[in-house]
Amino acid sequence: MKELFPAKQVMGFVASLVLTLIALLVVFTDMSYTAGMTILLVTAFIQATLQLVVFMHAGETEDGWAIYSNILFGIVIVVLSVLGTLLILLWDM
Amino acid sequence: MKIDHSQPLEYSTHQNQLNILGFWIFLGAEIMLFGTLFMGYFTLEGRTGAGPTPAQIFEITPVLIETFVLLTSSFTIGLGIHAMRLGRKNAMLSFFAITLLLGLVFLGVEIYEFMHYYHVGATYQTSAFTAALLTTLGTHGAHVTLGLFWGLFIILQVKKRGLTPQTANKSFIFSLYWHFLDVVWIFIFSFIYLKGMM
Amino acid sequence: MEFFERFAIPHPSPAIYASMVAIALVTIGIIAGLTYFKKWGYLWREWLTTVDHKKIGIMYLISALLMLFRGGVDAIMMRAQLSVPDAELLDAQHYNEIFTTHGVVMIIFMAMPFIFAFMNLLVPLQIGARDVAFPRLNALSFWLFFAGAMLFNISFVIGGSPDAGWTSYFPLAGNDFSQHVGTNYYMIAIQISGIGSLMTGINMCTTILKMRAPGMTLMKMPMFTWSAFIANLIIVFAFPVLTVALLMGTTDRLFATNFFTSDNGGMDMLWANFFWIWGHPEVYILILPAFGLYSEIIPTFSRRNLYGYKPMVWSMVLISFLSFLVWTHHFFTMGQGALTNSIFSITTMAIAVPTGVKIFNWLFTMYKGKIRFTVPMLYSVAFIPLFTVGGVTGVMLAMSAADYQYHNTMFLVAHFHNTIIPGVVFAMLAGLTYYWPKFFGFMLNEKIGKWAFWSLTIGFVLAFFPMYITGLDGQARRMYTYSEATGFGPLNMVSFIGAAIMAIGFVLILWNVFYSFKNSSREIGSDPWDARSLEWATHTPIPEYNFARLPHVNSSEAFWDAKMNGHQLFRGEYEEIHMPSSSGVPFIMGMIFFVAGFSFVFSLWIPAVIALLGIFFCMALRSFEKDDGYHISVEEIKETERKLGGAK
Ligand code: HEM
Ligand SMILES: [Cu+2]
Repeated sequence: MKELFPAKQVMGFVASLVLTLIALLVVFTDMSYTAGMTILLVTAFIQATLQLVVFMHAGETEDGWAIYSNILFGIVIVVLSVLGTLLILLWDM
Repeated sequence: MKIDHSQPLEYSTHQNQLNILGFWIFLGAEIMLFGTLFMGYFTLEGRTGAGPTPAQIFEITPVLIETFVLLTSSFTIGLGIHAMRLGRKNAMLSFFAITLLLGLVFLGVEIYEFMHYYHVGATYQTSAFTAALLTTLGTHGAHVTLGLFWGLFIILQVKKRGLTPQTANKSFIFSLYWHFLDVVWIFIFSFIYLKGMM
Repeated sequence: MEFFERFAIPHPSPAIYASMVAIALVTIGIIAGLTYFKKWGYLWREWLTTVDHKKIGIMYLISALLMLFRGGVDAIMMRAQLSVPDAELLDAQHYNEIFTTHGVVMIIFMAMPFIFAFMNLLVPLQIGARDVAFPRLNALSFWLFFAGAMLFNISFVIGGSPDAGWTSYFPLAGNDFSQHVGTNYYMIAIQISGIGSLMTGINMCTTILKMRAPGMTLMKMPMFTWSAFIANLIIVFAFPVLTVALLMGTTDRLFATNFFTSDNGGMDMLWANFFWIWGHPEVYILILPAFGLYSEIIPTFSRRNLYGYKPMVWSMVLISFLSFLVWTHHFFTMGQGALTNSIFSITTMAIAVPTGVKIFNWLFTMYKGKIRFTVPMLYSVAFIPLFTVGGVTGVMLAMSAADYQYHNTMFLVAHFHNTIIPGVVFAMLAGLTYYWPKFFGFMLNEKIGKWAFWSLTIGFVLAFFPMYITGLDGQARRMYTYSEATGFGPLNMVSFIGAAIMAIGFVLILWNVFYSFKNSSREIGSDPWDARSLEWATHTPIPEYNFARLPHVNSSEAFWDAKMNGHQLFRGEYEEIHMPSSSGVPFIMGMIFFVAGFSFVFSLWIPAVIALLGIFFCMALRSFEKDDGYHISVEEIKETERKLGGAK
């Protein structure tokens, strides 16, 4: 019976709902831009990690290291490219 | 074909493992694809020309519906894969069907949202901001649309052929795709809508 | 009538009409020839529907060579036009079209298929596999590349070629300044072949990660496979950027959006930014497999193992990461502040360090080696000093303050040709000569090969070194002419002579193929160079299943160990072999993509929609298909092995 109940999935789902609600605070309360962006960054990245680990079982096989390194490489490159782009075209233009 | 019975069905052949790893690498490319769309959006969001600004056109209600619908669909497909691993074909098929229905609702709301933008004068051609917005949303929406067809094909195949190493493998990969679209949506939700309405 | 006018060339010349006739005649000739010799069935069964990595590799190779000649003709025309001041061979518009197509053809349709050719030919053999991870996808990649290349190449006879440079900067590439359909061809043809490249990237990464022979850990892979792995990793993360940029460029041109326009908020600089986020990694995608080939050739002809395997690997891993962090060096003069420029100057100089490490590794490999100066080795030896010059001038360009002087002058043109020709092109020609016997069963003539090598090297130096000087003196790139008073005349004449000598070199290579085909011995065994890595452990010709039994590997030079130290590569009994079956769908999809692309170029919406539906139909078909491949029985394997001269 224990096997039948998808505890992991339910917890993941609840967590993602909670995180979404927290993110909504930035619209429904008054806060500074910096505080708002910080909340959004934190909630978004936690949620993404949750999906990867809980729902997508990224690390469950022997290829887990390849999958994680691949995704991590992608994220690092994207973040640096976004920052670089903003630096070039907005902040330092 | 060698079948390894110690593994879940979707990993049980070498080709299956290749397919899953290959798909993960593809998702790496998708991260970069959406990342680039975000680069474009962040650069252009303030460049509205004579058109409306983000705060003027975003509405929270449809966005909330879309978000909760998509989050739930990501949960239901997770349940579908759980059922599949327990060998419960019918439960799995029902969860897959619910997922696709939720996807359809999402798409419906998104189409409503696009019509709303059109009516308030934020068309594809209005400004750099609207072009970047609609391209980013549209690319995600196109992925969802493709997913609906793909998911339907997979349901039909599981129905007809049962849970074989091949169909289980396809279903698992489809679930990865669907979860990934949810991840992308989280970023759209946070950094396009919420940031824009902040 | 109005409908047909759009297909006309906006700026015709006798040369273009002559090419139209030539293309028509060649097409008719090919069709007639195939029909007369009854080769249609053979073509379809053995090539168009094949999923065999070796045959796909050969098709890439042929395409790359064809495109090399197409791009080479462009190059000769440009150098001829610039050979004397105020020349009138080409007018400004033609010159623009020619430098644009030259750049695109050489990078996207020559260098890319060339490296894909070697990846396809070598990677499965070097890791002891029977094919790539997704053979069907591999065929689709090829046909998408092919469709893109054909689409791009018909531009100069239907509708007009793009003329905004291979970088296609906006606003020049926008509708306001590039009114005819040329730039649509650019956007869409590159998009189609780019999707193919992305799929190859995914395919090769999966293959290398999961299909290595027993015993081959990552750190025991041959160096070419490592370089292919890193290059494909870069492809996976770089090409999506190009996809998005091209998509935006396409909608700007076809649907009047405002991404890169000059009004309604559009930002032309965003294009340059996207282009180089893809563009700089792209140059490393090209050079890394070239490094890989040199790393195979130099040890073989020095009779020593590769010096510093680990630093070689780590330098490439580092390059894969750093290559994404330097893109701004292509537009230091665009207007961003000194802080940004300084950051990217430093990252750019940093990337020269791992590149330098590799140079020393090759030198130490040769040090105290018994060097045999065969043609592949000559290219490799010439590569080292010439490429170093290219790297050093790259570091000069990397200093952002100084780059205000060099940027968009002939100095820049000299720099990147100095890296790409001795780096990439020499590697491809060296690889071609080195691997020719494995795939075609006879050796290329060494004497003609040496003549070709010397023509190319001397021609290269004459053609490009003068540009460093005229560039520093202020000769701008992409100018169709200059006046006598500038004093650029004599050095440009030297460049033209160099280019002509290079052309002779390329013709000699073709001649070598014909000559050797006729005269070379077919009794060459399976290891004519006394080589070291696993691809040479196969029979020549290579049976479709590559290895009758999968090899057991103990080092990165398993074949050498087998020859010299009694390592046993092949053990155990034969087993039935599972192979993927051929399919015509990739070819058909490629053709549909061609139709879709052509329709988009000319805004023909009805055929465009039909073609897109066709593509989805093919994908749906694939989803429902049950494709289990086929099996080769043990008897058949024994029979084949016996015919090939001894069991392996
Ligand atoms: C030592 C490493 C290298 C450094 C430091 C370097 C640096 C640079 C810099 C700073 C520029 C831009 C200059 C300007 O526009 O004013 C440039 C342009 C270029 N480089 Fe390199 N480079 C290096 C290696 C390579 C390699 C290995 C390749 C190709 C295989 C390459 C191909 C190119 C191309 C194609 C361009 C310019 C294309 C254009 O504007 O049309 N470079 N390089
Ligand atoms: Cu660069």
